Amino acid sequence: MCKECGCGETNGNTRLQFTVTGYTEETAKDVEKALFGLPGVLFVHIHAHDGETTVDYSPKKTKLTDILSVFAARGLEAAL
Amino acid sequence: MEIKVIKNILGENDRFAAENRAMFAEKGVFVVNFMGSPGAGKTSVLEKTMERLKGELSMAVIEGDLFTSKDAERIDRHGVPVIQINTAGGCHLDANMVQKTVREMDLAALDLLVVENVGNLVCPAEFALGEDARAVVLSVTEGDDKPMKYPLMFKESEIALINKIDLAPYCNFNCASAKEDISMLHPGIEIAELSCTTGEGVDVWCDWLRRGVVAKKAEVRA
Repeated sequence: MCKECGCGETNGNTRLQFTVTGYTEETAKDVEKALFGLPGVLFVHIHAHDGETTVDYSPKKTKLTDILSVFAARGLEAAL
Repeated sequence: MEIKVIKNILGENDRFAAENRAMFAEKGVFVVNFMGSPGAGKTSVLEKTMERLKGELSMAVIEGDLFTSKDAERIDRHGVPVIQINTAGGCHLDANMVQKTVREMDLAALDLLVVENVGNLVCPAEFALGEDARAVVLSVTEGDDKPMKYPLMFKESEIALINKIDLAPYCNFNCASAKEDISMLHPGIEIAELSCTTGEGVDVWCDWLRRGVVAKKAEVRA
């Protein structure tokens, strides 16, 4: 994360962008909260109107299936 | 041909951290990695902690700073054993630095070791030191937006101290919003509002330390 000292060269986070269908304002907020609560998730940004959902996470700490489960548990369909 | 070698810095650090963890476990000392921005009030919180726990817990402090021994001098005035690490520009402490330092300490005589990391909300969160727990100090003067801007620090900490709470009315600091963000990033994290000026919240923090010490002793006995 700190580029000057190279501390974060190996932090290994991944940023994925999903297109999620079926958001309401409420479910978008709920999903945001649930995603942030997962280990290693450092950034979440949701555009509820078009479903664009960006998640920055550490695959070492959270599996992709855990992220997909957050959508599925709320009846939402997510595509990469 | 130039061959690029990528060194796994964190992998190396994790090895030292594991050695430290084993050493701390053997001695039964509860170790806290104490983090936060420069000026968040980390040393002030430690001063209040030492006042409150004096005669109750045997405590030592490792101070991490880029330069000077100013913080160690403040700790020393309280009669608590302290060693200053100067990173000479390094933005965080690592497990190897801590390992070299604790060799100078009588760990078996301690209940609690607090490692005050270099003031920085970014890099210290990435480097395990072999600690039992991490604590982050966020002062109201820094702004309530910091948890979401520096999420790793709050995700990795077991307790967040919102310091200088007496100044909140003058800083446009939305405490409810900050707490909500911290809890969203780390469900279940403990949060305490604290003021080193009024003493508010110091007991909550010290109780958390006491519980940690008791749990560590119990773990060693088991």
